[in-house]
Amino acid sequence: MLRHVWGLFVNPKREWESIRADECTIGKCYAVHVLVLAAVPAISGFIGTTQFGWQIGAGDPVKLTVESAATIAVFYYLAMLVGVYAIGYMIHWMGSTYGANVPLSQSVVLAAYTATPLFLIGIMELYPVLWVNLVVGVVALAYTVYLLYTGVPIMMGISEDRGFLFSSAVMAVGLVAFVALLAVTAILWGMGLEPQFTNG
Amino acid sequence: MTDQQTYNYTVVRQFAIMTIIWGIVGMLVGVLIAAQLAWPVLNFDIPWLTFSRLRPLHTNAVIFAFGGSALFATSYYVVQRTCHVRLISDKLAAFTFWGWQLIILLAAITLPLGITTSKEYAELEWPIDILIAVVWVAYAIVFFGTIVKRRVKHIYVANWFYGAFIITIAILHIVNSAAIPVTLTKSYSAYAGVQDAMVQWWYGHNAVGFFLTAGFLGMMYYFVPKQAGRPVYSYRLSVVHFWALIFTYIWAGPHHLHYTALPDWAQSLGMVMSLILLAPSWGGMINGIMTLSGAWEKLRTDPVLRLLIVSISFYGMSTFEGPMMSIKTVNALSHYTDWTIGHVHSGALGWVALVSMGSLYYLIPRLFNRELYSLKLVEVHFWTSTIGIVLYIASMWVAGIMQGLMWRATNPDGTLTYSFVESVQAMHPYFIVRFLGGAFFLFGTLVMAWNIWKTIAGAKPAVGIIPAPAAAH
Repeated sequence: MLRHVWGLFVNPKREWESIRADECTIGKCYAVHVLVLAAVPAISGFIGTTQFGWQIGAGDPVKLTVESAATIAVFYYLAMLVGVYAIGYMIHWMGSTYGANVPLSQSVVLAAYTATPLFLIGIMELYPVLWVNLVVGVVALAYTVYLLYTGVPIMMGISEDRGFLFSSAVMAVGLVAFVALLAVTAILWGMGLEPQFTNG
Repeated sequence: MTDQQTYNYTVVRQFAIMTIIWGIVGMLVGVLIAAQLAWPVLNFDIPWLTFSRLRPLHTNAVIFAFGGSALFATSYYVVQRTCHVRLISDKLAAFTFWGWQLIILLAAITLPLGITTSKEYAELEWPIDILIAVVWVAYAIVFFGTIVKRRVKHIYVANWFYGAFIITIAILHIVNSAAIPVTLTKSYSAYAGVQDAMVQWWYGHNAVGFFLTAGFLGMMYYFVPKQAGRPVYSYRLSVVHFWALIFTYIWAGPHHLHYTALPDWAQSLGMVMSLILLAPSWGGMINGIMTLSGAWEKLRTDPVLRLLIVSISFYGMSTFEGPMMSIKTVNALSHYTDWTIGHVHSGALGWVALVSMGSLYYLIPRLFNRELYSLKLVEVHFWTSTIGIVLYIASMWVAGIMQGLMWRATNPDGTLTYSFVESVQAMHPYFIVRFLGGAFFLFGTLVMAWNIWKTIAGAKPAVGIIPAPAAAH
């Protein structure tokens, strides 16, 4: 379980080769990687927002009610599971344009391992401090992009030049998926599923 | 050699150089006002240096001075090259150049003085508006006159986009700027109440749709195939999405007025048209991306192609984001927050600025008969601007969502959880990141300016010889 995580930070290129050699199925990839790592931000967020809250300016810390935080955590978890698969599916769908011919599982695995830094920094939500989250978030995002650009040529078995184009297309898909998530969130909030704050 | 055997490159050169200069000025003002939002002390209590006066200066400088000059330069180049004929009138073309520069100068003086109509993206007062109308009509005469006397039967699709942009902007500008003058520097809009708001956003959204989209798609359809060395992926798609885009964009304006005094049916119509708009927008994106995708083997040696790829990707992203934000429920949260500002900049920096810069990298060496000074510097430009855009939009997403949530949060007794100033205070870290993103982008532009300067310093202007008329094909 989680055996590729360390390597992705120490020697990403070699680790991508080894991930490729695994020829993991979607189910196994989710079992050993996605289901576990996606729980990090979901659980940390639940604990952080109910127990410690976050502080804006000099005001009292803001916390969420347990029911509200639990609902959000479940949606959050599911959104991550669906998001990884959706991006993997898009990678698979775009593959032929960029001369890659790999099974869907390989594409989902690529999406799943690329997201590793973003899952891991979820731990910060245990004790939310806005500016720390922001700085670490930017660094993690940059490393995620780096993993994507190194991972695509290796996992898709294409040249680095084509990989650059392919990675850029995946980036665009990722941004679109993120915006879609924002829009869905805003709609859910608009329909009465807004976060409930405690005032303590 | 007579003039009629060569293209008019003079006016193209002038506009191309001014694009870079106005780009630096406009972005510098942008970085300054971003810093003022993060650190209000930078307003220095000097009226003409405050955010409120500099913000319209920033928008006018980047949209009309930088973007406008880029559109003039490229449209004059493209229409000549694809029609195999010199511009219809050198004098009139020169008039559009000097007229446009005068307008920009007048904007740079009046806006910091606080002389404004208070109409967004149409702040300039009526004497300047009249000058704009005159210059624009001259522009239309030069452009369409050149098309009329073309020596190639076919009108290339880029010219369709440029032509639609020129006609529509003329109509939008004249209708929206209708006003009753009181003094030389003060006028009142010809429309009242919600009609005024609707006319304003019919204009405002189509300034995005035609000035910042159709014109730049014209640029994409010429310079992307040229730089990639391949034909357009699907010519049929380019024509289909042209008509779909032109038809749909004009209706989308009311989404700027959700939950206002505008009749509800008009708001819903604006939302539906905005959602439909996704299809023609993505038609253009797919055509651009697929044209570039065939040139992947050139990527290693050509950073300009990367700039163009990223610009089309951001076009795709922001034209997806726009329809999402036009959905009433989403808009209820996102409107008046910094999410909107992030959205505008993913389009303006990501799409408009990058596709212009990519086109200039193609254009300027050809206008001066020189190789580009340094491809390495283009690569530096590529990375700094991409990082800058990502920092900018990511910080504004987070800031926008937080603002939306904080403004909505209520206590059990129905009172607001946060005062407005608390939400402003919470934005501080995001405003700093946004400032850094803008500074990165500005730095990339300065690198470009240096690269271009080294390319053209001491160079002789190139002469473009018009090819002999081709046999019928």
